[in-house]
Amino acid sequence: MVKVILRNMWRRKARTFLTVFGIVVGIFALTVLGGLSARLTQQVNGAKSWFTNSISVVPSGGSLFGGENMFFTLDKVDEIQRVPGVKEAVAGIGLFVKDSQNFSFGAPDLIVGLETAGAQDLLKQLNVDEGRSLQSGDKGVVLLGSTLAEKLNGKVGGTVSLRGQEFEVIGILQPTLSAPDTFAFVAYEDALSLFYAANPFIKQTEPIASNVYVTWELGTDPEALAKDIESQVSGVRVISPSEAEKQISQFSLIFNAILFGIAFIALIVGGLSIINTMVMSVSERTREIGLKRAIGAETNTILGEYLLESAMIGFLGGLIGMGLGVLAIFFLNNATSSSNVTVFTVSLTVVIGPVIFATILGTLAGIFPALRAARLKPVESLRED
Amino acid sequence: MSNIVLKGLSKVYAEGETEEVRAVNGIDLEIEKGEFLAIVGPSGSGKSTLLNLVGGLDVPTEGHVLIDGRDTQGLSEKELTRIRREKIGFVFQEFNLLPVLNASENVQLPLRYLKVGTRERERRAAEALELVGLSKRARNRPSQLSGGERQRVAIARALVTGPALVLADEPTGELDTVNTCRIIEVMRKLNDTLNQTFAIVTHDPMVAAYTSRVITLRDGQVESDLAQAAADLHCDDGETI
Repeated sequence: MVKVILRNMWRRKARTFLTVFGIVVGIFALTVLGGLSARLTQQVNGAKSWFTNSISVVPSGGSLFGGENMFFTLDKVDEIQRVPGVKEAVAGIGLFVKDSQNFSFGAPDLIVGLETAGAQDLLKQLNVDEGRSLQSGDKGVVLLGSTLAEKLNGKVGGTVSLRGQEFEVIGILQPTLSAPDTFAFVAYEDALSLFYAANPFIKQTEPIASNVYVTWELGTDPEALAKDIESQVSGVRVISPSEAEKQISQFSLIFNAILFGIAFIALIVGGLSIINTMVMSVSERTREIGLKRAIGAETNTILGEYLLESAMIGFLGGLIGMGLGVLAIFFLNNATSSSNVTVFTVSLTVVIGPVIFATILGTLAGIFPALRAARLKPVESLRED
Repeated sequence: MSNIVLKGLSKVYAEGETEEVRAVNGIDLEIEKGEFLAIVGPSGSGKSTLLNLVGGLDVPTEGHVLIDGRDTQGLSEKELTRIRREKIGFVFQEFNLLPVLNASENVQLPLRYLKVGTRERERRAAEALELVGLSKRARNRPSQLSGGERQRVAIARALVTGPALVLADEPTGELDTVNTCRIIEVMRKLNDTLNQTFAIVTHDPMVAAYTSRVITLRDGQVESDLAQAAADLHCDDGETI
């Protein structure tokens, strides 16, 4: 049966090729963008696990990642610390490693300054690969995320330059494929001086924080605590773990919507070309269909034959498109590996999803032509030339 | 019991808005099992329409077709398809072989619709091709066969299911004299050995002469229905089938 269908497709080689190619293009796009999206999701999930471990408090108008050069004075930190349920309110300074941080994939390269004494709970959640973590009283040292370490060519015991200032690398984190990979953890005081350097018009007498990381007492509901902080401390924006998750997801949702929008348009075009090809095949083979009906083929048999042929076009297009897509991902990842950026992830979904999708698309596109074939009247079709 | 009984059979086609054409106009006929007959008549006399009605490819406006005693009146398309599949073999003027299938696969096609298993299909197709003298051409596609060979494949396809009735619509219409003779020879041989009923629509007097009953149609009605002694066949190509 499949053999006969392939032979039928082979009758119009050029047309079949072009139709399959239409699907190949769409599925290629879907696979590559799927790889992009899988990578993004991986990053986002990693970011979530870091950002949902604490309640982030930023100046009202600020955002989760910080970097807007907004800040508040340290008495806010004390105020937050006094809210019941708060275990530790850790003053932090967040600023970008580079000012001209263009569009970045996933989390941006970020200097995260933490009050080393209070931040031990938070720092415990990071797995150090080499060296050690930040300790209370550390100064002039940096704990690097794995990606950033490679980018800055940082080695434990060596030094790296962050915004013009030299730091000794005391530790490098295990790769998480997510947000902390691109972070440089330094002591609060070090980050503060960098912050001042970046914002020369700030009065430099008063210590400030651009964000406050809040951990909670055991048994405290962080969502409720976030609300309490919001109502008891003025001029702050509180981002609870669930809100952080929502913010991060939103970023990926919009991105995914655009990606799949593009792939979808390509596939609608591909689907229409399958319909066109199948309608042409049906009219070319009207006599053959009449003959088959005359010698006893049921309408359902004819329907099945044409649906299968259409599904086959989709399947082949899907297989080839996916293959090319995975190949492209492989080469693109190779090309960017020198700069330590992984842009695509190939998962099982990325591989199997597009092929299944293309087969379903082919089947759906075949419904109309196949119904047309099945409804042909034997006598009239046999008369057709 | 008669193989085929037609009672008051009519087929009316609308032509334009007001005109109607009675392609078949009140035909009564009985055909016995194992008959080898010709249906002749001028173009437009209703020969092909009659054949289509008998074969269940078309439904009559009035009247009845009984195949092996079963009235096909009021049967659904599905049931008509089943009757075609199980009881009837068709041979057409244009052969109507599927170009993507080889001779054997073409012959197997009706068996496939009868859900016969692969091995059995292949065995019966080989038998049928043997009967029409094309064993050696089983693996050839239609495009690699001559017109006469193609029609013999089509005959093998019509016979492979062992139908009660073989309906042939101008089976020799596109063939030369030698091939015409051989096609008739094959059909007569099958009629002799398998005792299947053959109804052959033709406008070729030579073909009609080789049958034992000639029904002449004119304007959708039976003009004459004559039994005759079938002429002896001498196909002068020297090849035996």
